Amino acid sequence: MSNQDETTEKAPKAASENPLRKKLPEEVPAETQETPKSDAPQLPSQAPKAEASEPPETEPEQPEPPLSGRQRLVNGLWPPRLSRAQFIVALLLFGLGFGLAVQVASNSDGDGALRGARQEDLVRILDELDDRTQRLEEEKQGLEDQRTELETSSDQAEEARKQTIEKEKQLGILAGTVAAQGPGITLTIDDTKGTVEADMLLDAIQELRAAGSEAIQVNGVRVVASTYLTDASGGAVSVDGNKISAPYRFKVIGKPQDLEPALNIPGGVVQTLEKERATVTVERSDKIIVDALRPAKQPDYARSSSQ
Amino acid sequence: MIAVLGLVVGVVAGLLVRPEVPAVVEPYLPIAVVAALDAVFGGLRAMLDGIFDDKVFVVSFLSNVVVAALIVFLGDKLGVGAQLSTGVVVVLGIRIFSNAAAIRRHVFRA
Repeated sequence: MSNQDETTEKAPKAASENPLRKKLPEEVPAETQETPKSDAPQLPSQAPKAEASEPPETEPEQPEPPLSGRQRLVNGLWPPRLSRAQFIVALLLFGLGFGLAVQVASNSDGDGALRGARQEDLVRILDELDDRTQRLEEEKQGLEDQRTELETSSDQAEEARKQTIEKEKQLGILAGTVAAQGPGITLTIDDTKGTVEADMLLDAIQELRAAGSEAIQVNGVRVVASTYLTDASGGAVSVDGNKISAPYRFKVIGKPQDLEPALNIPGGVVQTLEKERATVTVERSDKIIVDALRPAKQPDYARSSSQ
Repeated sequence: MIAVLGLVVGVVAGLLVRPEVPAVVEPYLPIAVVAALDAVFGGLRAMLDGIFDDKVFVVSFLSNVVVAALIVFLGDKLGVGAQLSTGVVVVLGIRIFSNAAAIRRHVFRA
């Protein structure tokens, strides 16, 4: 198709009838007088050194010295000839250059890869993109599930933490490690005669507990489950080793409507104490503050068996 | 010289104008360009061999382009367009290389 094919089959013809060489003789003399070293040997491409070594002795007796390829190139390039053939070739090459540039430009566009693609390629690319989208969707779904799970579990953990704190507070109220406030009563036992003893106070405490008291302190000492009362010297009472003396002021948090009658029942705490000639006053209050604390004691032997 | 100028002017014009390639010739343009390149290399080699003929060059150039486009068209119709155009490019590439080798031997004598 190309010239080379044509030339190989035309080569013998060109040698014999030689339509091309007809042009050459008019060029060759000009060439030879311009460049006198063009009397290259018959195989110029194989003997460049020989050509270079024997520069000047040019005998133009050879009528048509074959030109080397390089000289033909130079010949064709430099003296620009305005022939019809040159114009046609230039036109074709213009088309080639144009198409080349257009193709390169359209290919280097952003979507150039897709623009030149065939239909089946586009379908394949679309399929691949669909697959990829699906995979990514699945991945996204999985990650979202994971996130939801983590959120709920962290919610649960938060809830559990809140409940734990709440429970700790409740237990702290019972154990006396935190302050408490709420409705309740104030029980004041003024013992001017020194007749009130520890067991009477203990009775009062038991009565209050039975009536549903939730936090008790007496003269700045928190009363808890392990509280003990003993008689101390001088008519005083020792509560958990803290010596307190009259008047004994109980601050009790609980339901006042339950606590007060429990103390006042006939034969109850109040009557017993008044029999000992102590003055007892019970007054309800909407806000009792029990702020006496006792340190939390770590049990030495008992361990929680819940976990 | 004028031919080289034509090539350069064509490239510059293509870059400057940046025309939208019509959808009809879109699949054929790359193959046609490669085929034309093959024809140009063949022509260059023929010129170096001293047997260049402008008529042969024109015919081979145009027929190269047309046949290449035809092959691609046929391949598209047969459903083997991608493979066939790959084959065309391979064949043309081999020819370009052999022509380039001949040119190189002429120009550099090596």
